[in-house]
Amino acid sequence: MTWAGAPTDQQQPVGDQPEPRKRLHPLSPLLHGAKSIAVIVAALSWQTLSQVGLGRFALVVAVVALGVVVFSVISWLNTGYHIVGRELRIQDGLVWRRNRAIPLERLQAVELRRPLLAQLTGLAELRLEVVGGSKTEAPLAYLTVRDAAALRERLLALAGRTGTGPSATTTDPAARAPAAPALERPLVRVNNRDLVISQLLTPQALFLPLGIAFVAAQFVLEGSWTPIGIASTITAMAGVLLQPVRRILQDWDFRLARDPEGRLVLRYGLLDTRSQVVPLNRVQSVGATWPLLWRPKNWLHLRLDVAGYAGPQNSNERRSDRLLPVGDLPTARALVWEVLPGVDLLALPTYPPPPRARWLHPFALRYIGAGLSPDVFVTRWGLLTRELSLVPYARLQSVRVVQGPIQRLLRLATVYGDTAGGRSGAAHDRDIADAWALAEQLAVRARLARGPAPLVTDRSAAPEQDAYWRRPGAP
Amino acid sequence: MTEPSAPLATSALEPWPDAVQWRRVSPKLITVELIGRTTFVLVVLFGLLIGWLLNGHWLWPAAMAVVVVFGIWRSIVTFRAVKAWGYAERDNDLLVRHGLLVRRLSIVPYARMQYVDVTAGPLERAFGLATVQLHTAAAASDARVPGLPPEEASRLRDRLTALGEDRAEGL
Repeated sequence: MTWAGAPTDQQQPVGDQPEPRKRLHPLSPLLHGAKSIAVIVAALSWQTLSQVGLGRFALVVAVVALGVVVFSVISWLNTGYHIVGRELRIQDGLVWRRNRAIPLERLQAVELRRPLLAQLTGLAELRLEVVGGSKTEAPLAYLTVRDAAALRERLLALAGRTGTGPSATTTDPAARAPAAPALERPLVRVNNRDLVISQLLTPQALFLPLGIAFVAAQFVLEGSWTPIGIASTITAMAGVLLQPVRRILQDWDFRLARDPEGRLVLRYGLLDTRSQVVPLNRVQSVGATWPLLWRPKNWLHLRLDVAGYAGPQNSNERRSDRLLPVGDLPTARALVWEVLPGVDLLALPTYPPPPRARWLHPFALRYIGAGLSPDVFVTRWGLLTRELSLVPYARLQSVRVVQGPIQRLLRLATVYGDTAGGRSGAAHDRDIADAWALAEQLAVRARLARGPAPLVTDRSAAPEQDAYWRRPGAP
Repeated sequence: MTEPSAPLATSALEPWPDAVQWRRVSPKLITVELIGRTTFVLVVLFGLLIGWLLNGHWLWPAAMAVVVVFGIWRSIVTFRAVKAWGYAERDNDLLVRHGLLVRRLSIVPYARMQYVDVTAGPLERAFGLATVQLHTAAAASDARVPGLPPEEASRLRDRLTALGEDRAEGL
């Protein structure tokens, strides 16, 4: 019955003896239950309320709530985790017992999330990103913030290939609570005013007045003020507005820092605060986006792809992939230099496809391009929303050449460089000979960047350390 | 190992003619695909026939005709599509190409291999074929080689695993 919290457990040397299984925080069944109850109430909806009356509705909710809480308590009793060697083992499940062993070498990033309820109770949820999982593996919900921070530090120390000894000694769980970020080097802090403006400059926000005017006009002309009409209109409006609002809530107070081990530490969120630690060698690709409406401000958005976060088919809002929610070019340039050492955002030459690709892209041809810089595969795409994607050669998983029927007529082909992050760098509509050369170059460069096995560790360690001291002077 | 090792001579999808020796998949795959397609077409036809008997509308036979034409067209395409499948083992990577309408070539380094799948459905087994699929950490990677004789499949699997271990890095 030792649930997480005994600080003596945290400092035990790893792998000597199997440590006891730990429980999650005793409040977690209540928090889980609260979430489910909210969902159930939403599902029952107002309609049911009006049909059965308030008293019965309250009774139903109470019975369901009791059931949910009992279920949560039982599943809490059955859930536990402990670290064995270099594995994190998690047991859970009530009907289907599940025993998961998560090899920590495969750990990509660790995220500490605090939803609103958890913030009120001083708890946090720890999410591990592992390659190959289609969804976030093993959310440990909930732990106290201090335990979660300590566990994260320990997991990351175990995951890092550098010996666990030195990092374990420097890691003092108390000092590393997220409230007191000691020794971190802050990189960026996004101004909340900029964030709000940036989200007002989205199509959804701009079309809102138009939408309201349209609805109002319809009401005035048709004279039909039925409650259902109003409700559905409001729902539709909320649906449209939800994304910018959610973005603002999620990216509120965005801060980015480098911790002493050179990892990226991201913190953001208003209601649901997240703090994410990403080792630099886990960055699979970086993308920059220039939305049309942000262009007068000269702003851009940077995206960070880490393997394990669910692929692009997943809803965009849930992804934790921000590197910079909004920022100007100098900031972005400095940031890209930090994340991909030696890559200068302003010095990335790309070459457009041949002129005959105009048949496929009458307007956008000038903004399509691909280039091979010394360290990254650079691709550009998009006329209105311009996108730039940077894939380090060392992170390329495979190279694909795809040629559709129209492309065959025009002797064009598209080259993809796939990464484990789920997004691919795509060089659209290259000349066929160019495409083969590009594919060959990518394959060769990826091989050289990977290098033979011993070199790989050198390479992944050395540039980080180097760039840590050798900051970009120019930008 | 006799049939699939015959080198292929196609120019459009042969990027490095001198360095790469393409291997074909077994022609028996054509039979497998044809049987599979015929079964599917027959099932659909049967369903449509029942509909016709119950209802008698002229759209039912029309739909049947469409299904038959589609089946015949796909079967003709299958002949060429199976011949278009090819794979080649280079020193550091596996090349797989396929597709007629949309042509695809994948270059997958052995070092990026996460695991290898060898599968054989009942129909494939009856004809002594197997499918080898190489998985990397990227979901988009597309390295599947169908229609391999079992001994070639296991040879390829063993070779891929051996090379993957040699050059292991994964991510």
